[in-house]
Amino acid sequence: MGQYIMRRLLQAIPLLFLISVLMFTLIHLLPGGPEAIYDNPELDAAGKAAIRASLGLDQPLPVQYFKWLTNSLTGNFGNSFATGEQVSSVLAEHLPATLELFLTAFVLALILAITLGTFSAVRQGKMADYAITTITYFSISMPIFLLGLFMQDIFGVTLHWLPTSGTVTVGYTFSPFDTFLDHFLHLLMPMIVLSVSFTARWSRYLRAGMLEVTKQDYMRTGKAKGVAPAPLLIRHALRNAVIPLITIVAIDFGAVAGGAVITEGIFAWPGMGNLFLDSLNKRDFPVLLATLVLSATLVVVFNLVADILYAVMDPRIRYS
Amino acid sequence: MEIFDRTNIDTTPQDEELDLLDLTPELAQKRRSQGRIILDRFLRNRTATAGAIFLILMVLLCFIGPIVTGHNHPDDVNVAAPFSGPSLQFPLGADDVGRDLLARALAGGQISLLVGLSSMLVSVTLGTLIGAFAGYYGGIIDNILMRTTDTVLAIPLYLLLFVLSASFTNGSPATIIPLIAIFGWTTSARLIRGEFLALKEREFVRAAQTVGARSFRVMFRHILPNAVGPIVVNATLLVGGNIILESILSYFGFGIKIPIPSWGNMVSDGQGFFDVDPKLVFVPGLLIFFTVLSCNLVGDGLRDALDPHMTER
Repeated sequence: MGQYIMRRLLQAIPLLFLISVLMFTLIHLLPGGPEAIYDNPELDAAGKAAIRASLGLDQPLPVQYFKWLTNSLTGNFGNSFATGEQVSSVLAEHLPATLELFLTAFVLALILAITLGTFSAVRQGKMADYAITTITYFSISMPIFLLGLFMQDIFGVTLHWLPTSGTVTVGYTFSPFDTFLDHFLHLLMPMIVLSVSFTARWSRYLRAGMLEVTKQDYMRTGKAKGVAPAPLLIRHALRNAVIPLITIVAIDFGAVAGGAVITEGIFAWPGMGNLFLDSLNKRDFPVLLATLVLSATLVVVFNLVADILYAVMDPRIRYS
Repeated sequence: MEIFDRTNIDTTPQDEELDLLDLTPELAQKRRSQGRIILDRFLRNRTATAGAIFLILMVLLCFIGPIVTGHNHPDDVNVAAPFSGPSLQFPLGADDVGRDLLARALAGGQISLLVGLSSMLVSVTLGTLIGAFAGYYGGIIDNILMRTTDTVLAIPLYLLLFVLSASFTNGSPATIIPLIAIFGWTTSARLIRGEFLALKEREFVRAAQTVGARSFRVMFRHILPNAVGPIVVNATLLVGGNIILESILSYFGFGIKIPIPSWGNMVSDGQGFFDVDPKLVFVPGLLIFFTVLSCNLVGDGLRDALDPHMTER
């Protein structure tokens, strides 16, 4: 097992290196550059060149890349072109919002998916199963940005039940409890939208897994032995059915950990996804590169975690 | 011996056939071709059939659009009062600058469907080639191809899409199609590689190789037709996924740019006017949703219909 982990880690390093090279190249292919953002008509070619030089963009690309690489390995990702502050502090500013959003969405999705998936499997073929399966099917087909928009429009613009964007209502100072409530209301819609897509996928997975597991012989043995249905379901069936689900969850975790770009974009949630969109539009190379590389790293790391988890939870894989 | 030739039943050939049909009607079925069997199984799945009908209707409507909408051109501004409601001349009313919403929706559908279908074709072709070579040859070719696939898969999808579209596209469908195709080929390639790995060991491949068929012939004339099932299912689901991708790109301003209509940029345009006229958002949005839903239904229906393990009913 240790050998397997070591091998995968060693494989991951050149992959990350390749990804950083690819991202670096792509960023420098973007039309315009930071100097194009300074939309100053008086700026002639010499002025533009001076800006590029001051930002270190006049040097040949491999040199720039090497500089970036050596710096980032020590933790220095450079300074943002837009604000001049350290990229790492910019990232740290936006990270809590992302974590808040996607951790809450994840927990909600996990609880819902396990409940709905189990319920659906237990009541297979009956009305409840049919209803749940239809809803999850619809949710998978609905693009997440549409769902976000529709919810924003219905609950925010028309009904005025929930705020449409941001994390807090500006211009008001609330009492501590009200501040918390206000923040929670702002979190509610993006969290629900983000968790819907996960719930739909995971509950289908769990349902299929449960159906497969309950057909096994050891379940019949348990029932014959006299184990009550509920503990039988949870302790025996669910435990085994959850294993492939956990790997999917880990992979999705990695995919969204870098910032749920779509959801954050729609709800103007100031997290890493929004930071990515912002820095892309502003051609803020250091920040953009840092978010890209960070997201890719998280994806690779969590894919590895998923594989390891699978081996840990399923002894059959370990000993094969 | 003769004694065994005598039977009590008067078995003339015609009677035999009749008896057989009477006693065991379900055994003496009319012979159907494989395609017919699959079609029948597909049609028995009502939701999949509904999805297929919707898709066909959608495609017909969008591409015969101009005949349906008459003289209303999607780009003619101010033919109707802005935000007007449905009327005989303008079945869906007008948008914020007075364009006929129905004509625009159909024109947008043309673009969205075109992008979805074309990028699927490119993805599947590319994925088939890569998967076939990786699966058939194995070894170092397989290794290199799969490593490349994994690298592309490791990068978060939307991030890459947005960055690439900012650099390489100019808002026209022709540039968007290859961009979206880049992401489809990875799943297709993996799938086809798996199929080829499995089918490579079968006897008919062995037989073809023994008589001296060249590799290309074996791959594309023998193995590929047997792997077509999952490829078709994947392709259908891919169309739905591509339509979603294109609409997300267009919504955020990275994909099809105005004035070319696409369901995605219609949604983003209408979003600003939601309180005045919600149908500007709902019409393209719901069209996207139902099209993707139909693609998924058809894909799942095909998967069930093509499944050789399902017992024949």
